[in-house]
Amino acid sequence: MRLSFTPCLLLALASAAPLAFAQAAAPAPEPAASAAAAASSATRIGTFKQVEGDIWVGRADTRRTPASGDGVRVAERVSTGQTGAATLILKDGTVLTMGPNTTMDLSRFQFDSTTQEGSFLLDLLQGSVRVVTGLLARINPDLFKVSTPTSVVGVRGTDFIVETQAAP
Amino acid sequence: MSRSPSSDPFLRRLSQRTRHAMKTASLRLFVLAPLGLLALLGACAPATRVTLLPQASGTPSAVEVSTGKGSRLIDQPYQVANVSRRGEVSQDSTTADRVREAYPRLLALQPGAPERFVLEFEPGTSQLTAESQAQLDTILAQARARAGGEIVVTGHTDRQGSLEANDTLSLERARAVRALLIDRGFAAERIEAVGRGEREPVVPTDDEVAEPRNRRAEIVVR
Repeated sequence: MRLSFTPCLLLALASAAPLAFAQAAAPAPEPAASAAAAASSATRIGTFKQVEGDIWVGRADTRRTPASGDGVRVAERVSTGQTGAATLILKDGTVLTMGPNTTMDLSRFQFDSTTQEGSFLLDLLQGSVRVVTGLLARINPDLFKVSTPTSVVGVRGTDFIVETQAAP
Repeated sequence: MSRSPSSDPFLRRLSQRTRHAMKTASLRLFVLAPLGLLALLGACAPATRVTLLPQASGTPSAVEVSTGKGSRLIDQPYQVANVSRRGEVSQDSTTADRVREAYPRLLALQPGAPERFVLEFEPGTSQLTAESQAQLDTILAQARARAGGEIVVTGHTDRQGSLEANDTLSLERARAVRALLIDRGFAAERIEAVGRGEREPVVPTDDEVAEPRNRRAEIVVR
């Protein structure tokens, strides 16, 4: 067991500095921009709380810099640069906190506030996000997912951090 | 597990060979960098790392991390699931201090817990009682003090009448409160009116029982 880690340890020792650089410089994946996705819904699904540094909502040339109190819509991409970080609260009370160099898509958000039924899918493409789950995960735990290029995270009512490297 | 240098010549030679191997390995790496570095690291550093944090309430919680190759449930605070590029999931653990070091801004930007208020209505109306009216200013002050503050107004009814009629009535009550808050100058797009009907009584009753305490609006400021 210990042996199998040795090459990794060597790599880590030999390349600590380049690694930090590589992560910072890792390009965000090509935006799969589609007019349909951008225009899919005008409904606000969440609100920006704290907003710091470089941060954008939307894809490519149509992206905007949000301010505290601004809304976010389903299917939108939110990304931060090296100085960026932000907190969003979604309609069901789910709190998403993004770290620097992070790109995520709010791929699916359905929430009926009367019955509290719905579903949620966050695609974390790169970087780190902290998730404190709200009503959706309490009522529909099997329909609340955070997905990364390599895995899917399902919840049982929680506070957790997901960090991922961009897909190669 | 003794850490003292070995007096056994075989072991000493072995350790010299290891050191030599390390030197070659790192040399080769520097030659490969930067082109091959990412690929090499990709094979080793976890591609995804999931850390379970303690719940503020202290209640148990868990996350399940799944890939095409398997899944792992972590259910203790500071347990970690690491996923390799190839989709292998392994378990690790961390500490509160290491999380603070690795993710300082994820902890710093966490908003404070939501504030909750309960407003009551004059019987059979969407008119707030005088006491509840007086609470509106406190609610607005709290919401304005928060970055991107929002107000969620959730109306509730008792169990008299049909489920559908109570959904409508509870939403009307919530909208009446929302209108009052907008009148006092709070941004409309950051006040949401929700009707929960008779689903969440504070005082449980049989169906068709009138219970004034269940006719209320709950306010969450977040």
